[in-house]
Amino acid sequence: MIVCVAVVGHQNNPLYLQSFTEADDALKLHHVVHCSLDVIDERVNNPKRNAPALNETFLGLLYPTENYKVYGYLTNTKVKFIMVTTDLDVKDADARNFFRKFHAAYVDAVSNPFHVPGKKIASRSFGARVSTIVKSFGSGTTA
Amino acid sequence: MDPLRSYLGRLLLEEITPVVMVLTTPLAEAACRKSGLSVVDMLSPFSLFKKIDGDSPPRCSPLPIICPCGRRVTSPYRLQMFKIRMVYASDVRKQDYEVADQRIKPVVSEANESALPDLLSDPPQLEDVLSKPEAELCPLWIKKFNRALMRTLSFSEHETFDHPVACLLVVSSKDNEPISKFVDLFNTNQLPSLLNEGIMDPQILKHYLILHDQQDGPQEIAMNILAEMKSTLGLNDCKLLCINSSTEADGADAENSWLPYIKDFMQDLASNHIIPYMEQKIRVLNQQVATTRKGFRNQIKNLWYTFTSIESQIRVLGDYAFMLRDYELALSNYRLLSTDYKLDKAWKRFAGVQEMSGLCYFMLDQSRKDAEYCMDSAFSTYLRIGSSGKRNATRCGIWWAEMLKTRGQYREASSVYYRVSNEEPSLHSAVLLEQAACCYVLSKPPMLRKYGFHLVLAGNSYYISDQKQHAVRAYRNALFVYKQHPWSYINDHVHFNVGRWYGVLGIFDVAIKHLLEVIACSHQSLTTQSMFLNDFFHFVQSMGKKFDVYKLQLPVINMPSLRVIYEDHRTYASDADVNVSESIWQELEEEMIPSSSIVRTNWLEKSPDLRKYKDSCVCVVGEAVKVRIELRNPLQIPVAVSCISLICQLSTSLDASSAVNSVLTTGAGEDIANTKPAISIFEDDGNNFTVSKLDIVLGGSETKSVQLEVTPKVEGILKLHGIRWTLSDLLVGYQYFEFDTKRKTKKGKKGPRRTLSNTLIVIKGLPKLTGCIDHLPTNAFAGDLRLLKLNLRNQSEYAVKNIKMKLSHPRFVIPGDLSEVDFEFPQCLRKHVQSEISTVSTKRTQGDAKGLLFTFSQDIKIQEGATFSWPIWFHAATPGNFSLYISLYYEMESPSEITYRTLRMHYNIEVFSSLNVSFAIRMCSSRLKEYIVRMDILNRTPSESFILHQLSCNDSKWAISSLPLCDSIRSIETVSANQSVSCFFKIKDLGTNSCKEAENSSCRSDMLFLSREGNSNTEEFDVSQSPITNFHYQERYQQGRLAKGPRDLLDFILISKAVGGNYSKSDPDVQLLSHHVCHCSAIDQSPIWWFMEGPRTVTHDFSKSYCEANIQLVIHNSVQHNISARVVTYDSVPDKSQTVNLQDSNSNQGGWYDVSLENDIKAISTAKGTHYQKQPSESISPFVWCSLSSAQVDLKPDTSTKVPLKVCIFMPGTYNLSNYQLQWKVHSSEVGQVDENQRSGGGQGHPFYVTVLQDA
Repeated sequence: MIVCVAVVGHQNNPLYLQSFTEADDALKLHHVVHCSLDVIDERVNNPKRNAPALNETFLGLLYPTENYKVYGYLTNTKVKFIMVTTDLDVKDADARNFFRKFHAAYVDAVSNPFHVPGKKIASRSFGARVSTIVKSFGSGTTA
Repeated sequence: MDPLRSYLGRLLLEEITPVVMVLTTPLAEAACRKSGLSVVDMLSPFSLFKKIDGDSPPRCSPLPIICPCGRRVTSPYRLQMFKIRMVYASDVRKQDYEVADQRIKPVVSEANESALPDLLSDPPQLEDVLSKPEAELCPLWIKKFNRALMRTLSFSEHETFDHPVACLLVVSSKDNEPISKFVDLFNTNQLPSLLNEGIMDPQILKHYLILHDQQDGPQEIAMNILAEMKSTLGLNDCKLLCINSSTEADGADAENSWLPYIKDFMQDLASNHIIPYMEQKIRVLNQQVATTRKGFRNQIKNLWYTFTSIESQIRVLGDYAFMLRDYELALSNYRLLSTDYKLDKAWKRFAGVQEMSGLCYFMLDQSRKDAEYCMDSAFSTYLRIGSSGKRNATRCGIWWAEMLKTRGQYREASSVYYRVSNEEPSLHSAVLLEQAACCYVLSKPPMLRKYGFHLVLAGNSYYISDQKQHAVRAYRNALFVYKQHPWSYINDHVHFNVGRWYGVLGIFDVAIKHLLEVIACSHQSLTTQSMFLNDFFHFVQSMGKKFDVYKLQLPVINMPSLRVIYEDHRTYASDADVNVSESIWQELEEEMIPSSSIVRTNWLEKSPDLRKYKDSCVCVVGEAVKVRIELRNPLQIPVAVSCISLICQLSTSLDASSAVNSVLTTGAGEDIANTKPAISIFEDDGNNFTVSKLDIVLGGSETKSVQLEVTPKVEGILKLHGIRWTLSDLLVGYQYFEFDTKRKTKKGKKGPRRTLSNTLIVIKGLPKLTGCIDHLPTNAFAGDLRLLKLNLRNQSEYAVKNIKMKLSHPRFVIPGDLSEVDFEFPQCLRKHVQSEISTVSTKRTQGDAKGLLFTFSQDIKIQEGATFSWPIWFHAATPGNFSLYISLYYEMESPSEITYRTLRMHYNIEVFSSLNVSFAIRMCSSRLKEYIVRMDILNRTPSESFILHQLSCNDSKWAISSLPLCDSIRSIETVSANQSVSCFFKIKDLGTNSCKEAENSSCRSDMLFLSREGNSNTEEFDVSQSPITNFHYQERYQQGRLAKGPRDLLDFILISKAVGGNYSKSDPDVQLLSHHVCHCSAIDQSPIWWFMEGPRTVTHDFSKSYCEANIQLVIHNSVQHNISARVVTYDSVPDKSQTVNLQDSNSNQGGWYDVSLENDIKAISTAKGTHYQKQPSESISPFVWCSLSSAQVDLKPDTSTKVPLKVCIFMPGTYNLSNYQLQWKVHSSEVGQVDENQRSGGGQGHPFYVTVLQDA
């Protein structure tokens, strides 16, 4: 199950952070997302030598904590997508697929002429769409 | 890096060292106590041997050591450092975890006290942290803590490096029978259980020491005992140690003279006994292992390892080798063991040897990979075996982390610390997490976010384990990580906890400082907000005094909303009027007031001192300067804000120089905010001015605009500095206004009044009028007509004169006459029998687009304290939203700096649609100078009903009457909601000369709609009197601007009353509506009228001859020019479609078309002519024109002429004699006076029916 998704701007400012848990662990997830930025920075600054392509957006597993796995994705405009999941074995393909959909939703949201770039995404339809993607991710892995 | 020089290397050299078990008699202890020490304490300082000491260090064996693998080590080597651990026998046991942990706690708590002064300084910044060397990053006590933590594992079962290598038995020379005491000491059951249980080898090196205090007697006694000991216990193993417990003043030398003996003793013990013993043991064990190794694997599995088991022997061998720095030998033995333990599934022992192998690899600096692998497997194995292995895992982790740190792998080290921290109780976990955090900073590049996160985790754990100082320290260090980016959720949490914990520690000022950062958190949930706020208030209360907070964020002051409202020569009826753009007022007042530049220079030149304030604003003594500003509550909790007031300063003109100075300093802009002058100097100066105080409660997320006032009492320079308020009666917040220069210029364009300047010149008191229009509706139905009253009040001590008024919308509001003040409405509008001559002056009606200027009579003066009323007529002309601006100009009777002032009033009126009235007019085809009028009325309101009362024309030359046959429509009384009604009327042009005829009541320019009762609705309103005529003039002007052509005929005024619905009041008479429809014109206006005159019915005997009918065509010229007209008749029946086209050229208004009677003709003829001739064929016309086919006549202006015509009819029937055409041409002397379209034209004949009957 995905417990949290986040969009972080190119100045590492949070643009969108939504948790999908009932528990009151928002602070914890904020921290997890915030910390994963360190890993993204590291990945970006020290790319693997055998990196397949320069414009690979999917960053893969960022870091495993005892309860969560954190996946990252970096757009060409240095906007980061972060997904925190409790699933212990996530297929890379699933994660990629998730991020692709998430990216599309984000692009639609920021294409809104009333959206101010660099400000938090307040669109309700974006939120609804993200929830749908998150739900489908859960069902996709079990099916 | 040389592993031995690394921190871990030194740690291992100090911690993994041979243990000497110490057994003492009570008297021996007592001897030492005299010096304030225990035996162990006395010996321990001398248990560390370094090469640097200059003394010969313990040396290692020059003997070759044969490894199990057969490798030879021949070269002797020196130990750089050697340490012996002295431990009481009673301590040689496995410690209880709880007890051990209790011992660690003081290590942490002690550091608390030293941390306190640090907490009062500012929290570290990014640069501070990055520039710190590694050693300072983590507090020193943490290393102490690490050691203490590891020591809790001493004397475990599966490791042998803590097993005593030797035993030191100490007996005092005062003991009775010292020899037997020695024997007793080792034989008693007080020996450690580990030895008794067979885990440790009891056959260890024994060393006997006789302790002699020189104060107790001569040394000979001890010497005797020593000799005795040597004979019974062994020559080499017995020693005498003389001490001197004397504290008397023998001098420092005497006192310390026995210390070298101890040193020598320890040196001897180490190099001559312990090391050789260990070497010996290594050799023996090595051989033993080598010989037994062959059958080793075939041995029955040992589930219970004793010291005699081969595995334990190998372990001892390995540990001894490790302690003597022969890491290769140690490693080979450990590796041997690890496979065996693994096969035996003795996991704890397996983990133990893996751990040691890892350390061996490290010390050898050989294979990093192997070292890490060993540590990893040891760590995870310890964790796997459950709770018993947890602490071992911790120790292993600490070693591992240190190993990684030595190699610069800080990231890996921090993750090891993190893993370890999960296995430990909160206090230990906190310390470990802090170390993990430090590692993240040290990693390249620094991972600051993780640093912050781990510090927060550490802080949390500290807090849980009741170490608040440490908790605050950890959180504080993390603050800078979250400051840069808007990770407000985390930032709030950190600030809040830091603040709260400072509060708990009693450092309230710092606590409040931190809590101030978070109390305005709008993004948090309600419960979080209230928690923040409660804690904040709690600490503020604990401070025990009110204090000032600069830029307090609760409530948030919306600086861009700042408006300074002051009145110089411009005054306002209400504060809302100030928001109207200055340009609107200026445009309105343009004609009314003297040019502004003249006024300015006039009064400014009088006081040259004030010239430098030319751009400053002016206010008047005794009149409040208002400041409007928005306060926003960012929280969801209601917040009580009290005593909101302005921070002001008023310097009188006398101390002008100081005023100048302060102006200059404030001119520097934000200086005032930065230097933060104590706000006490701005305390309310009761002598010079008074400020208003306002208390409000801001609801959750509410924004309120507050208006603050300062009333100057003396002349001078008034400066508005800022705003202060009291939050929940606990603390005072204040903020200075930001008078930004950029904004100043921007606002300046709008008008001088908007210039945001905090400096105002206070001038002498002036008269001031206040005023309003009573009962001016905010919404009304279109057409609403009312009489209102303008009330003016002079509240000052001076009289005003020369009053003028300018109105922006004379279409809506016009001033009345003084005589109308007491009129009763609407009776005053009724037509009087002797109608008075209209008193309306022509001057008043000269309204144009810019508004109406109304000058009050010169002799009207408003004295001090007097109230003055003037009637005002209101008419809601058209639907829509209107802003009504009224400006009143008045002059001072007494001379003053400002010669005049204006009172500005502004009202917003919303006018709803009521009745849509439209008229369609058509020339009457059977009468001259008569028109048929259709009035369409549509009620556009959703719920109102209107009574139609009266329809009037604007000019008395028109007579209006109902159609003779349609009397019933005059009884239309009410038009209900959404109803549409059409009525038909006839109007007649009586001409200008026929005024007398107008006297006749049957044809008047007003028509009343009769109510069914017919009695109540008899009052007629006079439309030719003020104000209806004035409003009509305005309507005519306004509607005329929209009308296209000049061909307007007349205007209609419909007066109706509102009934029913929620709008009208009890008396329907009061709600009067007048609708003005101007510039109505006829649809088919032509310069000439014509119609047939003649008999309508002719009786003729067709058996004798055809019938001849004489008819006349009457033609009237209604224009002021000569016209020549031509009549053309033709016999063929005109094509119907063609006719329609001709006539419909401009009759696209619905409802007007010719009703063709052709079918009727047929009907009549078939009905009546059954016994006569058959229906005539289409080709033959049933009648023909006789006399002429064409006639030309000339018509002078306003004359009529008749053209005789004759028709021959051949059979009975009804005939439409309309098959003629009229063509005319206007002969105009002046070209262009007549519309080009109307210069010439033609028209089809009007229908004229003649019925011819067969004469019987």
